[in-house]
Order: sequence, then structure tokens, then C-alpha cells
Amino acid sequence: MDREFSVKKVSPEHLDRFEGWTLPQILAYQAAHLGKDYPAIREKAYGVWKAYTWEDYLSFAKHTGLGLKALGLERHDHVGMIVNNHPEWLFTQLGAQAFGAVTLNLFTSAISSELASTLSRIQASFVLVQDQEQVDKLLEQSGNLPHVKAIIYVDPTGMRSYAGNRLLVSFRDLLDLGIKHESRHPGLFAEELSKGKVAETAHMILTSGTTGISKLAMLSHRNYSAMGRKWIDSTPVDIGGNWLSMTPPAWIVDQMWGFGVALLGGMTMNFPETPETVEADFREIGPDLLISSSRFWEDLASRIRVKIDDAGFINRTAFTLAERIGTACVDLKARQGVVPLTLRVLHALAKLLVLNPLLDRVGCSGFLSAYTGGHPISPDVIRFFRACGLNLKQCYGLTETCGIFQVQPDDEVKPETVGKALPHTEVKISQDQEVMVLSPSVFTGYYNDYEATEKTFENGWLLTGDAGYFDDDGHLVIIGRKQDIIRDKEGNAFSPDFIETRLKFSLYIKEAVTFGEGRPFITALINIDQGNAGNWAEDRMIPYTTYTDLSQRPEVEQLIVEEVNRVNAQLPQPMKIKRFILLYKLLDADDEELTRTGKVRRRFVYGLYLPMIEAMYQGLDDIRVKGKVRYRDGQVGMIETTARIITVF
Amino acid sequence: MAIRQAELEVKGLSLAFGGIQAIKDVSLSVHTGELVAVIGPNGAGKTSLLNCITGFYKATSGDILFNGRSITGLHTHKLTSLGIGRTFQNIELFPGMTVLQNMLLARHTRSSYNLALACLYSPSVKREEVRHHEILEEIIDFLEMQPIRKELVGSLPYGMRKRVELGRALACEPSLLVLDEPFAGMTLEEKEDMVRFLLELHDGWGQTMILVEHDMSIVMSISQRVIVLNFGEKLAEGLPEEIQDHPEVIKAYLGDTSDLGLDRPEEG
Repeated sequence: MDREFSVKKVSPEHLDRFEGWTLPQILAYQAAHLGKDYPAIREKAYGVWKAYTWEDYLSFAKHTGLGLKALGLERHDHVGMIVNNHPEWLFTQLGAQAFGAVTLNLFTSAISSELASTLSRIQASFVLVQDQEQVDKLLEQSGNLPHVKAIIYVDPTGMRSYAGNRLLVSFRDLLDLGIKHESRHPGLFAEELSKGKVAETAHMILTSGTTGISKLAMLSHRNYSAMGRKWIDSTPVDIGGNWLSMTPPAWIVDQMWGFGVALLGGMTMNFPETPETVEADFREIGPDLLISSSRFWEDLASRIRVKIDDAGFINRTAFTLAERIGTACVDLKARQGVVPLTLRVLHALAKLLVLNPLLDRVGCSGFLSAYTGGHPISPDVIRFFRACGLNLKQCYGLTETCGIFQVQPDDEVKPETVGKALPHTEVKISQDQEVMVLSPSVFTGYYNDYEATEKTFENGWLLTGDAGYFDDDGHLVIIGRKQDIIRDKEGNAFSPDFIETRLKFSLYIKEAVTFGEGRPFITALINIDQGNAGNWAEDRMIPYTTYTDLSQRPEVEQLIVEEVNRVNAQLPQPMKIKRFILLYKLLDADDEELTRTGKVRRRFVYGLYLPMIEAMYQGLDDIRVKGKVRYRDGQVGMIETTARIITVF
Repeated sequence: MAIRQAELEVKGLSLAFGGIQAIKDVSLSVHTGELVAVIGPNGAGKTSLLNCITGFYKATSGDILFNGRSITGLHTHKLTSLGIGRTFQNIELFPGMTVLQNMLLARHTRSSYNLALACLYSPSVKREEVRHHEILEEIIDFLEMQPIRKELVGSLPYGMRKRVELGRALACEPSLLVLDEPFAGMTLEEKEDMVRFLLELHDGWGQTMILVEHDMSIVMSISQRVIVLNFGEKLAEGLPEEIQDHPEVIKAYLGDTSDLGLDRPEEG
């Protein structure tokens, strides 16, 4: 989508004033100044993009808030939201915050009991839900949720049969209630809006909980505005610029962008039609910036590679050539800083003929910058995209810092670093190598967990829990979670992440977990990728029935051995994998093996598969296993099979 | 959406192909807002009956009335504009066209402009086109087909094509929707989706429907009234629970069990 407006930035004087305002107050200001001239939100519905101006944005947020007030919302109440990326999420979050409430997003994929336990932990008085599916999950648990005054649903499809349930209110009715309430109490909104304080908690985020129960990080209005300021001062964030909201609202990324950067900087939040249409919507919007998890980029890279493998001879050859030119350019630039003219010309040609059309096909041609964060990304993936001409850079941030505060500067992209700190942020390394942050965007603490909060701060500095160091150019390098850096029997330090990300760059490996703490060598549990390994097997006429069956085929075993050998070749001696098992089931968040954000819960997996891990160290050739599988509907099934233990030489 | 009047009355309908009597003196009625299922063993004449109602076959004798008007022997396109839309047992879409194009074609009977105006793309044509797209998008939203809007029908999986076919039938804005085996060949998940759509159509949109279906559990759970055909004749009619226990129906489906083993010759 072309920019319809002259590009400009919000002036620094305004940004300075925002520091003293709550997020809904900033919205009111933007509505008065950007008003009807700029779209604040764009949503694809019924096949067309529909824009809401800043005035519309305020009016919807106001009526949502007033509607909640009419239903009995009090200051400091908690409002839960179980929604996908839709404007109603923004309206509810700012509307509730205008009345002094604190909001919290939950994952729509979470199971019923998980939702109920979090909602009762915060004693939520209202819950906004996406659709009938979420309503059912909550009604199933309604006995455990006596504090919920109303459940507001966005999508009315299939909700007719619930008529008469007094707990349920449609979003449309909520808005009508709000409009009515406004006519009865005309000054109420302005009065409540002015009561807000910047240091108060605006929103809470469930931390991913790789280590035990997830904690609730409290973020204040000031945290968000500080985060917005960091980005506006350092990156091309312009009024009317485009952001595509595609990461779940329960994550920090769309939170920091929607309520920090976009709200302060006047950017447009674009919402895809459905989660399945993101790819097409992405192309239509052509966002200016994208921050996504490393998993997104890794998936995209392997999708492109699979497509290229399937392509005809000419296309495949053209791509191979173009990629080789691109990689040569990127490598030379990284090593010497200069690229010979002939290679530059070739690269320009390759971009024009092959790489740009390819990027356009995946909707990535309009980026000014793209970032990868979350989990360390395989250097191969970064190199791949940069060779294709995409300005992909690494960044680093935490929920506790209200988002991303470290990014790589444009011309200083190095595979192992996470770049430099954004403005208004100080970063240092503690005695025992822990990364520490000082910034106004650092969170206020964990909800109802004084002890954990105390442990996270040291003289006002936030302890990130990540081990790292600065390299010669002042770039931060993250080694891994501090408690995850482990040592084998001989005392050699290694980072499981380091090995696993490299394994996972293989097309055929979906997930890998490595072990070796206090052990003589390193072992791994590996999940094959059913799609790619399945295609591979089909091409070779190897029959299989289920995932379990496929994972134990000797041919697949040989395939993965080759992949492991390839990775081992890049690793120093003590970090090489000696034995591994191809796991009979995919690690899954429903089985608590992964967090909802898709990170492996290492300790949990270790405990669950201990017999298999022991067997690898005892030198057995196979082991009989019995495993539980939990299905989406909550039923538990059993898998009984023999897992082969594979030794690598 | 306003409920559209759909009163169907079939009186003494018979259909013969040469010496084969496909339908013999069948009478039935469907009222506005009803969901009626027609069941019966293979070859019972269910699809033939639907084909007579939708104008694909011409009945040998008998009369079909729709909203008080005789529609016996009318052409299919005439019936579509009168408000009878249908889906087919074996999907009849244009595989080389996109989902949206297939559905737009169905709007043909609802468009008022002629070729000359369309070529000029006059403001009235433009307004009408926008209206067509609005209606289609509502259907696409309802059937959750947003991700496949611009996909070629030929590239879609079978269950999805069935959904597109339903979408196309709805695009005609039918008063009476005639569904020929909407669940045939679907996976369990696809069936569940289809049930959800049909129930929502019936309860939410007040759509009148007559459907032929083999899957008994679905028929019994969604339909308000069931009509049973056997060898071209109406065997029974009633509420799903009545039909389930009807001795004649059990006999037609499972065969006559009363004389089992009686005239079997002695084995020795």
C-alpha cells in the first residue's frame, strides 16, 4: 500500500509532554491533533481494508470504557482479554485503562483451566473474548470465576443459543451501553481520564515461564511511553507509517508497538483479516517495519528453500546463482567492509531479476528494516535473508523492559551480536556476566510476587537473567540464559541453545533438546519435521503411517544422522553430539513441554524423558517407552513404542 | 436478514426412465423456515426427487408448487430466479476459476444490467457490482472462506469445494436451498464445520432447506422433519425420533429380518 500522506514525525516537544501522560491521555491528544487526517487503525473485513481515524479510535475506546463502567468497572479493577489481533483489543485496552483499570492479554490457544487459573489469580472483573470457542472455555470454568462480572464477546457467530445467559454481552451491545452512559454522564470520561497517573500499572503480561510458573510483569503507562520514545528517536517511525499486527497480543512485541511506538509516533496499526490470511494481507500492506520471532524467520527461510527445491530447473538455477552472489557480497562486506565493483553490479542484477521478486512474493519487499528477536537465531538464516537483500537485523529485549531495547545499527550487522542499546537506555555486564539494564521502560515489578521482584533488581538496575558480554565494537553478545549455561563432567561450558539453533536450521529437524550437564558427552532428543521429512520419505517411496512411525524409519534415521554430522562439524569438540533419539511425538505446549511462545521447557522435558536420556548414557541400543499425549479437547492418549538410540561417529 | 417465504408443495409426483419407475406418486411439503431431510437406501429416488424440484428432470406426472405457483417443467435458470438454489452431490464448480469468480457467476440471475451497460461500466452498474460483492463477502465471512477467496477452485481440497458450492448456492439468495448430500466424502472435521454452517443458516438466517443425506447421525441431529423414500415411494415421514424407531424404515435399511433362517435349506 502506498503512503497516502506526507511523511513526518511527531515533534520532540510533543514527545517530551507525553512522558507525563497516561496512554489514554496520549490517545486523546492524538485524536485532537491527528484527528481525521490520518488513519490510526486499518482492519481488513469483508475483503476490503477499512480505516479508523484517530478520532474514531478515541471514540471507540471511550465508548468501550464507558460501557465497562456502566457494567460496574472500578478503578484498579483487572480486565482480561482473550482475543486475536483485532481493533477491539486496542479499544478495550485503552478504554479500560482510561477508567483506571489494568488489562491483561491471554493466549487464545490456551486451554480452559489455564485461562481460569490466570483470571482468578488476578481476580479479573471483566473478560473480553474473541468468539464462541473462548466463551465455551470460560463457561466451562464459570464456577471458578465468581469475580467475573461480564464476558464480552467480539464475534457474534454462533452465539444465539446462549441468549439469556446474563454473564454474556456482545461487543456491539457494550458500545451501545457506553453511548447511553455517556449521554447520562457527559463529563464522566474526561473526569476519569484526568485521574490517571503515569506511574500506575497499565497492563500486565504473562512472562513465558521457561522456568516454572509464569509470572505477571506489571508495566506502567510510563514504561510504554518510554519504549515508544526509544524507537521514534532512533528508527524510521513516521506518522502514517504502517505496522502489521500479527504477533499475539499476549506477547510484548505488539504491545510495545501498539501502545508505545504506534500510539506516540502516530503510526497506523493494520490488522489482518484472519490468522490464515496474514501472508496475503502482509503483501497488501507492505509494512515499514517488522519485528518477529526467530522462529518466524526460520520458518520463512525453510519455506522458501522447500519451494525452491520444488521449482523448475531454470528457477532453481537462477536462485542458486543469485544466492551465491548475495552470500559472497554479505560475507566480503562483513570481513573487509568493501565489495569489489563487479560483485556489486552482479548483486544489483541478481536483486533486480531474482531476489526482489522472491521477496515480493513473501511480502517482504517494502521493509525499511526487519528485526528478529526472542530466541537466538541461526546465523545461517540471517545470512540467507541478507544475501537476498532483506535488511534483517537482530534485536534483543524482554517483557520486563517493556520490549526491545537493543538493535543492530544498519551497517553493523554481525551474526552473533544483538547490537547496541537504543537511546535512553543503559546496559552493563555484572561481575558474573549477567546483562543489566537501566531505563525508564524497565517494569515496576511482578504482580503479587515481592520476592521475585526483589531478585530482579539490583540498585535500580534490572537483572535480565541472560549471560553476555560486549565485543570489541561495543556490541552486546548474548550467550544464553544465565542458568542455562551448563558444564559437562570435565567442566567444559556449553550452551544448549547454541547447539539446538544450529540443529534446527535443518529442514528435517523441527525441535531439538540437548543434554549433558555433569555427563561425559552431549546427547539430544530430536523432533523431526513431519512436513519436510514426510515429503522426503514420499519422494523416495518410503511408506509410513503416523509421526511415530516416520520418526523411527531407518532411512529417516540415516537422514538425521547426516544432518547431525553437518552440525557437529561446526562445533568445538566438547560440544559435539554423540548420541540422540528421534522422539516419537512432537513437543507440545498442551503437554507443557513448550511454553505458549514455543520455547522448550528444558527442565520439564528432562524430567519427563529421563529414562530415555539415561538410556543414551548407558549405551543401550533401544528403549521401550510409554508416553502420554494430551489432545486439544483435554483427552489424554497413550503412545507405546520402541525408540532407537542412535550413535553418531 | 429477512426470512424469505418458501412454501414447497409436491403433489403426486412420478418419474419414469423408460421402464424404470424412479419416483412413484410422491407427495410432500416444505414450509418456510423448515429444515427437512430426505433419506432412503441407494436408488430410492432421492436425487431424482431433488432434480425434479430443481428442474433438471421433467416429471412424468404430478405437480410441484412453489409459493403457490406451479413450477413443474420450468427451466433451472427460471427456478433460480424464483428463489430455488441448490448444491450437487458431485461438485459442479468451475475448477479453473477462483472462489470469488465462481460465486460472482451465481449473482448473474440477480443482476439487472445488460451487456452494453456493463461494457460502459456506468455508475448504476458500479453500484450494483459493489452490492454483489457486499453480499458475497458476507457469505465468505459466514463460511470462513477468507483465506481461499482468490484461490482456484481446482486447487482446493474436496471438503473446501463443497463449502464453496454451498457459498455459490447462497449467492443466489435462494428462498429454498436444496442440498444434495452436503456431507458426502467429507472428513469428520469438515462434516462438523458443515453442520455448524447449516445450523447457523437455519437458526440465524431462517433459511428454508431440503437436503438429501446418507449420514444418519447428522440427519437425525439437525433436521426438523425426515421423509423416507424407498424404491421411489414415500415410506414414512415424521420427526427424527419417530423415524428412528419406525419398523418400515428399519426394514428398508437393514433388510427384512423377520424370516431369517426360516426357509434356509437344511445343511447336511
